[in-house]
Amino acid sequence: MNTITKNIQELAVSLLRDKTVDIVIGFKSGTVPMSSVPFVAKTTEQARTFIWDTHCRLNLANYLTGRKEKIGIIAKGCDSRNIANHIIENKISREQLHIIGVPCSGMVDKVKIASEFTEEIIEYTEQPDSFVVKTASQTKTLLKKDYLRANCSTCMHPNPVIYDQLAADRVTEPLIENQFADVNRIEALSRDEKWQHFDDLLQDCIRCYACRNACPLCYCPTCFVDESDPQWVGKGTDTTDIRTFHFLRAYHCAGRCTDCGACVEACPMDINVRDFTRKLNKDVFDMYGWEAGLDIKNRPPLDTFNPDDPDEFIK
Amino acid sequence: MAIEDTNMEIIKIKKSDWAGGIDKSRKTYHLFGPVKHKNHHIFRQLENNIYPDMEYMSSVLSPKSVLFPQSQKILVTSADASGKACHIFTPPEQDHTPRAVIGIRPCDAKAVQLVKLNFDTKEYQDPYWCSAFEATTFVGLAVNTPSVLDFSTSAGSGPFAQEGLDVLLVDCKDHYLAKILSQKGKEFLNTAGFNEKEDPKAADQVIQQMKISAEKAICSVIQTQHLKKKTVLELYEAPFWEDIAFSCISCGTCAYVCPTCWCFDIQDETQGKTAVRFRNWDTCMPALFTRHSSGHNPRGEKIQRVRQRFMHKLKYFDDKYDQGIMCIGCGRCVEKCPVNIDIRDICNLMNAYKPEKESDAGEIKGEIK
Amino acid sequence: MTEKQIKIVAFLCNWCSYGAADLAGVSRMQYSTDIRVIRVPCSGRIDAKLILAAFREGADGVWVSGCHPGECHYLEGNYYARRKFILMGNLMEHMGIDKNRVHFSWISSAEATKFAKVAREVADTIVPMGPNDRFVKKAV
Repeated sequence: MNTITKNIQELAVSLLRDKTVDIVIGFKSGTVPMSSVPFVAKTTEQARTFIWDTHCRLNLANYLTGRKEKIGIIAKGCDSRNIANHIIENKISREQLHIIGVPCSGMVDKVKIASEFTEEIIEYTEQPDSFVVKTASQTKTLLKKDYLRANCSTCMHPNPVIYDQLAADRVTEPLIENQFADVNRIEALSRDEKWQHFDDLLQDCIRCYACRNACPLCYCPTCFVDESDPQWVGKGTDTTDIRTFHFLRAYHCAGRCTDCGACVEACPMDINVRDFTRKLNKDVFDMYGWEAGLDIKNRPPLDTFNPDDPDEFIK
Repeated sequence: MAIEDTNMEIIKIKKSDWAGGIDKSRKTYHLFGPVKHKNHHIFRQLENNIYPDMEYMSSVLSPKSVLFPQSQKILVTSADASGKACHIFTPPEQDHTPRAVIGIRPCDAKAVQLVKLNFDTKEYQDPYWCSAFEATTFVGLAVNTPSVLDFSTSAGSGPFAQEGLDVLLVDCKDHYLAKILSQKGKEFLNTAGFNEKEDPKAADQVIQQMKISAEKAICSVIQTQHLKKKTVLELYEAPFWEDIAFSCISCGTCAYVCPTCWCFDIQDETQGKTAVRFRNWDTCMPALFTRHSSGHNPRGEKIQRVRQRFMHKLKYFDDKYDQGIMCIGCGRCVEKCPVNIDIRDICNLMNAYKPEKESDAGEIKGEIK
Repeated sequence: MTEKQIKIVAFLCNWCSYGAADLAGVSRMQYSTDIRVIRVPCSGRIDAKLILAAFREGADGVWVSGCHPGECHYLEGNYYARRKFILMGNLMEHMGIDKNRVHFSWISSAEATKFAKVAREVADTIVPMGPNDRFVKKAV
């Protein structure tokens, strides 16, 4: 058991034992290699099954919506930023939460790891900076830093921004010179190439809405794709409908997205839907100096304005 | 019609002849098969220069779409008074010339048989699905090295299972052994020009040997033997649903990748003077699935929907059709569920579940007396 | 003429630009006939959904016009709108839609001359680009 897992379990157990909280939300290990399962512990025995590894990719803030109890929650950097978002957007109150922060050294990209092998991965074991992958015919040791998820490798806020306790020492926050290199690459394309890029990207979308449902920001009582009067978007496999869904899903996250990558993690077709949200993240950063969820005081950019906002584009 | 074992025919297909035969068959059949696409394999119609990738492990989505496309036009009408079908919904023209699914896994073919129970009943025959089914020949490919997620042998199928197939291909390194399982299968092989007969006894022995070793390689097993005896209400009220449902994000991934999920939604779309009625895949995981127009929703809570999925697959289905569980053990949902909800664990939980003794119902009864 | 007529959907704020269009009309000012007006309560009401809906239904361009900053009937609707518009326009361009198909302006109800001028400008930009084929819902 790694130290963070041990600390998380101890903290969670004592929170439940002392009745500081009614439940603790964390991760337990999954049933297939390179997976984890969001899990709620109500008893101290359940809290002893919590784990922490580089597969805790989903965002646990997604599980806060609508809960009424006093909640303990395990939060890495991005989860904590989404918790801050929830607080700003009045989805939950700070007092209702006890946050166990986990300074994060990044999660690994399971698709990238799998693509290194022609065979199926049957076992995965983690070491501090590396991991061992086993297939039917080979065993390979790979370095974590080479297989970080794209959003983790440009993350500058690995430490929780709000927390009550920490499960490990803070990690150094990297300063990344150009954190939007991926957006720049698309921006540099011609208009036709851009159109083509997103056509290719969305080719496999099956409209399962896993990206939307894994996202802590998507808590509307009725999503626009589910509205029928008016019906904003068709429900079949028409490419315009698919594009409309992705455009609007991303747009609704403008100024709120923490780039946690849960959408990409959830996608069964491995579509990098971040290509949409990243552009908005870059624009709100460039224009309004905003990064979502860094504190619980400032209003998000689309919930406020400045009389001097850029408006050269308006006639 | 299945061919009796006594008249069994096994054909040898040299791999060097494979592509030529496939090309020959294209003159009569539209071919569907597994194709490498980005990081994974998908099942789709094959253009003339595309061959099925017979080395594939599994496809992300099952081949159910060959008969049951994700989005299918079922009726069309027009408000154009000059056309003869003005204001009358009519089915669009459909292509029901022969098609063949090459390389379908045995468990996926069995799944088609389960889906058939829904689309082809005594009372109702779904015209779209049934005519596509009639037109289709299933040329299966036995699984020599099953995935770690494959639990087909304990889910009523197996890596060499024959149910639902017209031909079973077995990969023997430099050649395939093709076991003919129906008249349709025989016709396909004839059309492709594959006619090198093997001694059926000897060849079948080879196949049996390979079958045994493939089945042995399956390391994942579910327990289903007690499911049938359980009472619906006891399972329905079991305490474990809450824990299972917690992580579910109510997306439709499990149902969309599942070869046996058959639910659909009907949607009308209009544009200009044309109106089309579509049938789209639907899934019981989001709340919208059961929301009534009154606003009432019998499965408005996530726990109700998660329970529905597994009760349907593992309990209601067998109770209704007496055909085993509605899962053939392909492992797709286990692999693709974003939160790793594992049907194997749930099946075992349900199978082993015993409600607490001293049921409240009994006590209440006693008091009434 | 067999060519498809270009259609530009103009979402005009009830309290200013819509009035300006009225005034331009009664003043017999000349501007493009390619523009179809939809009256909205405030430019702040304009959502990306509406703009995409216009394109999906076959519009070749969209023009949104509201009150000058500081003059919003609802005090600050257009300030919020401004932030939404720039992000939306950039995302559309990012996905390969020509930014010149979407226009924004601030026109008060007294500015009939500006209305006619901007209407001409918008049409002069969009008409030469021809019909839009991106984000259009294909025939069902």
